[in-house]
Amino acid sequence: MVDKVKVKERESTLEELREVNDDLRLPSVPEKVSFPIDVVTPEARTQTPAVGQRASRPDGRMHGLGQTKYIDDMSFPGMIYAKIKRAGVAKARIKKIDLSEAEKMPGVMATLIGSEIPVNSFGPSYQDQPIIADKLIYHAGDPVAAVAATTEQLAADALEKIKIEYEQLEPIFDPIEAMKESAPEVHPGQGNIYSSKIIQKGDVDKGFKDSYRTYENTFSTQMVEHVPMEPHASIAEWDANGRVIIHSSLGRITLGRADIARTLDMPINRIRVVATVVGGNFGGKNEITTEPILALLSRKTGRPVKGIYTREDEFMSSTTRHPFIMDYKTGVSEEGKIISRKVRLVCDGGAYCSWSETTLGKACILSAGPYNIENLYVEAYAVYTNKTMTGAMRGFGAPQVCFAYESHMDDIARDLDIDPLQIRRINAFHEGSASPTGQVLQSVVVKDSLDVAADRFGWEEWQK
Amino acid sequence: MDVELIINGEEKTASIPPETTLLKLLREEFYLTGAKTGCDVGDCGACTVLVDGEAVNSCLMLAGQLQGRSVETIEGLANLEDFHPLQKNFEDLGSLQCGFCGPGMILSAKQLLEENPEPTKQEIQDAIAGNLCRCTGYTKIVEAVADAAKEMREEP
Repeated sequence: MVDKVKVKERESTLEELREVNDDLRLPSVPEKVSFPIDVVTPEARTQTPAVGQRASRPDGRMHGLGQTKYIDDMSFPGMIYAKIKRAGVAKARIKKIDLSEAEKMPGVMATLIGSEIPVNSFGPSYQDQPIIADKLIYHAGDPVAAVAATTEQLAADALEKIKIEYEQLEPIFDPIEAMKESAPEVHPGQGNIYSSKIIQKGDVDKGFKDSYRTYENTFSTQMVEHVPMEPHASIAEWDANGRVIIHSSLGRITLGRADIARTLDMPINRIRVVATVVGGNFGGKNEITTEPILALLSRKTGRPVKGIYTREDEFMSSTTRHPFIMDYKTGVSEEGKIISRKVRLVCDGGAYCSWSETTLGKACILSAGPYNIENLYVEAYAVYTNKTMTGAMRGFGAPQVCFAYESHMDDIARDLDIDPLQIRRINAFHEGSASPTGQVLQSVVVKDSLDVAADRFGWEEWQK
Repeated sequence: MDVELIINGEEKTASIPPETTLLKLLREEFYLTGAKTGCDVGDCGACTVLVDGEAVNSCLMLAGQLQGRSVETIEGLANLEDFHPLQKNFEDLGSLQCGFCGPGMILSAKQLLEENPEPTKQEIQDAIAGNLCRCTGYTKIVEAVADAAKEMREEP
């Protein structure tokens, strides 16, 4: 027999329960946007030819509305956060890594060290860079361990609990010193000069003898960080087919995919890289950074793992523009015609090769400037030092040598009392000139461009 | 701790640990990801929002300080009828390239135009001095702010 009283009680309880704060039933989702999300295609992208059309960006509207989703604006269910412990010493041998205190912290789900990475080396030219340093530290920004925790703050706190014992070794910072035989080797067993190039044309010594005057000077440029507004960012997770899906701010995803496959020792078809809108690249996001670390932390925890560089990581560990030391010697005629030029470039590559080899090649070819020079000798060296590595950055070796050869031209013009514009007109490439490596140049308008530019900004007026 | 504040005109409450910054509160509690984490130390301005009408670096402000105050983020600028003149002019002139600095830049400019409807080029440059941009060289940004100011004077 049904107990009517009890049923009634139960119903009233349910009724009361249903009345409890309705807000609790609202799921936690973002508010709906208060404007129509439609994206107009700029005219320049719908017509051929595009020249003369307005060229606004297709993503310009969403940028201004704050609706563009960069990596850090994405999240996946159950996502955790990774942080990287950096060496803080320029050169050392790792004696011991103690993760026990960090692993005991609440919220810490996994840690990772270099010896756990299947193939712990990568790089676009030479594979000389570890994902996480496991035996030797080559520069202060080297990663030594990684932590994944339930919040970014907990992961950062856990880094403080990691204890590492180092045996300090003698570092080398000056590239000229590093070129000497007696210098300590950055990568033991390999000389510090890891790439060199020579361009030879005519006879420079004879050229100097035939010159009216010769000039010598040394120019140097500094290391420059790209400082993209968006720091390096990635999220890694694994799917049911055993593929790793990596959302990344990587600019060169195909190259990155190959490097991730290599370091994880997996076939490339199991690596899925999803590129998103990048908050500034400038060449600094051309290589993988933490992607394999996040993939492995995700495999350990079964959770999506997000890793965002702090600004400090960005400065310490991401690539920078190569500092160059450039020795120039130039012989000229009385009228200012360059007869002979000798150049030595030393490119401070930092701890790893990255794109130094290709940068060096470009710098080498461009180091004589856009000038016809019969007798030319260029020698160039890329050198390891225990500093933040250098890599691709806008211009790729061209801005450094341009600063040197144009400063040098100004010095010569001043000494010979020739108008700086005129000395460039005398020497500039013309239609059919050959580049230092023998490429015959077409559509050459250097002189026309100089004349138009000089006219537009009132060169003659300014000279008075 | 609990904090009650007004975000884009709506009253909100959140329970958060006391070390939570305004930036984290906006991004993680309310999914307002328009304010970006660029440097997290108050240098770059990518996290700029308006607190009681004044542009602040939200990464340097604790959420607890917001009790009873009003916050405006980039998400609150446009409505169903129209975009803000700043947003329109930034789009038309292609003032943003990667776009990461955009929300902060636009909010700093908004504060300027509310206080000074007819700013000089120098005043615009000063107003966005705390917002770094690495792509554009600022020229188009300054032009867009000047054009938006003109538009707002003509059609208030």
